[in-house]
Amino acid sequence: MKRLMLRLLVPALTLVVWEIAASGSARAPRPSTVMQTAVRMIANGDLLFGLATSLGRVFAGFALASAVAVPLGIAMGSIGALEKNLDPLVETFRPIAAIAILPLVILWLGTGSMSAVTIVAYAAFFPVLINTIAGVKRVEPNLLRAAYSMGVPPMTRMRVVLLPAALPAILVGMRIGLGLAWTAIIAAELAVGAKAGSSGGIGQMMFVFYAYSVELNGIVVCMVAVGIVALILDRVLRELLARAVPWSRA
Amino acid sequence: MNEAKISLDAISKSFGPVTSPVVAVDRLSLDIRAGEFLAIVGPSGCGKTTVLNMLAGLDKPSAGTMTLNGRPIEGPGAERGVMFQDYALFPWRTVRGNIEFGLIYGPAGQGLSSAARDERVSRIIELVGLNGSESKYPHQLSGGMRQRVALARLMANEPEILLMDEPLAALDAQTRIILQDELLRIWGQDRPASERRTVVFITHAIDEAVFLADRVVVLSSHPGRLKRIVDIDLPRPRGDATRKSAAFADLSQSIWELIRDEAYRATMN
Repeated sequence: MKRLMLRLLVPALTLVVWEIAASGSARAPRPSTVMQTAVRMIANGDLLFGLATSLGRVFAGFALASAVAVPLGIAMGSIGALEKNLDPLVETFRPIAAIAILPLVILWLGTGSMSAVTIVAYAAFFPVLINTIAGVKRVEPNLLRAAYSMGVPPMTRMRVVLLPAALPAILVGMRIGLGLAWTAIIAAELAVGAKAGSSGGIGQMMFVFYAYSVELNGIVVCMVAVGIVALILDRVLRELLARAVPWSRA
Repeated sequence: MNEAKISLDAISKSFGPVTSPVVAVDRLSLDIRAGEFLAIVGPSGCGKTTVLNMLAGLDKPSAGTMTLNGRPIEGPGAERGVMFQDYALFPWRTVRGNIEFGLIYGPAGQGLSSAARDERVSRIIELVGLNGSESKYPHQLSGGMRQRVALARLMANEPEILLMDEPLAALDAQTRIILQDELLRIWGQDRPASERRTVVFITHAIDEAVFLADRVVVLSSHPGRLKRIVDIDLPRPRGDATRKSAAFADLSQSIWELIRDEAYRATMN
């Protein structure tokens, strides 16, 4: 009990100082006003609808990215010539932030869900790819040799030895990818939000608060919600990962 | 019996660039007889593992010919099974999953109904003493248990020729003695010679080679060359009485003297 009090001391103190410091301004968000806004946004369903819209795009883009990055990563990790050829291309695009391809994406795909999903897929693609390549390359060669010595055909070896052996690394890549995808969707929706009404999602909601209603409390509510969802996503994925690969201590 | 099952004729194996190759095995000629327990010993760097990998069809010789029942060895085959030094167990498969692996995905299980497969796997689990551990994962097992799983996985495929690379090297002394006895039992030392499998057993432990084998092949190192083939005429079945016998000690000592100088040189350098 005493320990719990000590742990909550700093956060509680921060809230109190924030409340007092911001009380002089009518516009500045304070814990109390943010709380009121949060209750209202949850009650009328706006917050959950926004989050659901954004999450839907994240999962779609993430699934798209994984569907391409995992097979490509396996191929690049197991075929040296392919990796040598594609690696410069990958390393050139990898440092380009997802938000930096936004102008092109909007020009080509417009401001709707397609654009948002594309941005997300781009953001999630690289961590999944890089980790899959590394995972495949780190597979203990004797495991493949053991299967080879038992006369297991090549495609079967890939499916029943290479894939499970690389799975822990692939899942780590997916966890990182999903985290980046969530970061990217907020940025993408914020930017696309200039054309209000066509995109939706939590990012666009923030844009509306910023540009139209100038509702600072709402922005803070969205920020906190984004953080909480990221935390939950990561925890759920960690748990799934531990269950999917019980033999791995990753 | 006594007809050569595997013949190595002037086998050489080099690694590295063509301009400055490292010769691991140099013109090794050897006949391995059907049903015999053949041990290969030698100091580190004598190419023991390389020889075994070539027999398994995992590596190709740089020169020379290698035949099995008169046909050239060009790759792995169902009649040969390998047990790796590090066991190479699949960490995501249970004990049972590892043992039945070759029967499910390899040619060894062709024409075997799933009931017959389960029956065989259960029998082998019993044979190597893994009852009760079938659903454990390799990381939950001790070194000795893992070694049994690797042996069981090899046995399940019922290969005629067992190729074993220092299978007991990672074990403590007691476990090692127990598993030596078990290995001889599984190989069939109580049965007539015609019913035994062929074993090629790599080890760095001279006493282990003498205890187990019909013949001990002694290799020299850098490059690996055939130094001597020593016949081990200790009576079978062998057991603790063999380990205590003077003949056992004499044979071990004479083989040690063959490789002593090289072993010292390798250790001191």
